[in-house]
Amino acid sequence: MSELDPVIHAQARLRVVASLSALGDGDRIAFPRLQELLAMTAGNLSVHLRKLEDAGYVEISKTHRGRTPATLIRLSRRGRLAFEEYTEAICTLLDPALPKEQL
Amino acid sequence: MNPDDDLPPTDAAAALRLIEDQRSATARRLVPDARLLYWPWGVAWLVGFGLFFLRFSPGDRELLRLPVWLPLTVLFALLLTAGVIQAVVNARAYGQVIGDSALRGRWYGCAWALGSVSVYAGLGRISEYLPDDLAGLVWSATAVGLTGALEMAGGAIWLDRDLFRLGVWISVINLAGAIAGPGWHALVVAVAGGGGILVAGTIARRRQRHRQ
Repeated sequence: MSELDPVIHAQARLRVVASLSALGDGDRIAFPRLQELLAMTAGNLSVHLRKLEDAGYVEISKTHRGRTPATLIRLSRRGRLAFEEYTEAICTLLDPALPKEQL
Repeated sequence: MNPDDDLPPTDAAAALRLIEDQRSATARRLVPDARLLYWPWGVAWLVGFGLFFLRFSPGDRELLRLPVWLPLTVLFALLLTAGVIQAVVNARAYGQVIGDSALRGRWYGCAWALGSVSVYAGLGRISEYLPDDLAGLVWSATAVGLTGALEMAGGAIWLDRDLFRLGVWISVINLAGAIAGPGWHALVVAVAGGGGILVAGTIARRRQRHRQ
């Protein structure tokens, strides 16, 4: 499986990207909620988010909700595309005969 | 940092399983259980309008001897409870998700609140000139009509077939009840309306489970 995208092809980051892909297109999720959904430590999640951000796969924005600072995360267009391609590649590996429309 | 989680999944099947599990777990947590959104309203209509029918029955009869204040009080208490449940369930599911979905939800909530206030303000001024049975019919037919219209609109906003169909159903039975007249309207709304909401909740839940 050497041709698979190395950024996504790691268990923790695959989980992060898969979770973010379940959000609506125009939505962002707050860091603590994402952390809770993934059951990861804050430090661990930060490390993987940074790698995904460096690859241009996630967008991280800092904002204020009332007076508390909040970190919001979403999959970038590029990240969504990379995730779709990754899923497609996995499915082709599992069943090369499967036509793409059925994936 | 967990030493293993930078490693790739063991094989393609494990990767696919991981994707599917994670996506469905996220969807389960971010989408509220449809039963909690529909059923409290269904119960409120079934019981509230049911009591209304039994106390203020067609032809000025009284099928069940109840205090005059009871049906409306029960109806409002149950509607309020359903509203609170809906708010809590939505806040839990969508809390800390910011963006288009939150905006849609907020504006849709505004449409309900402001729409109700503006419609009822006009109604309040008219209904005092009507006999009791007709005033009751005008109030409930307007409330139910507004509900049907907003549910159809909600279906259009979220492309939610179940919600849209429920809106159509509520609008049609409201029409039938209004034609049938005072008393009968409450019976139609209780049984077909409340029952319809309960059924819609069951169908929506089944669709959710299938998707997850």
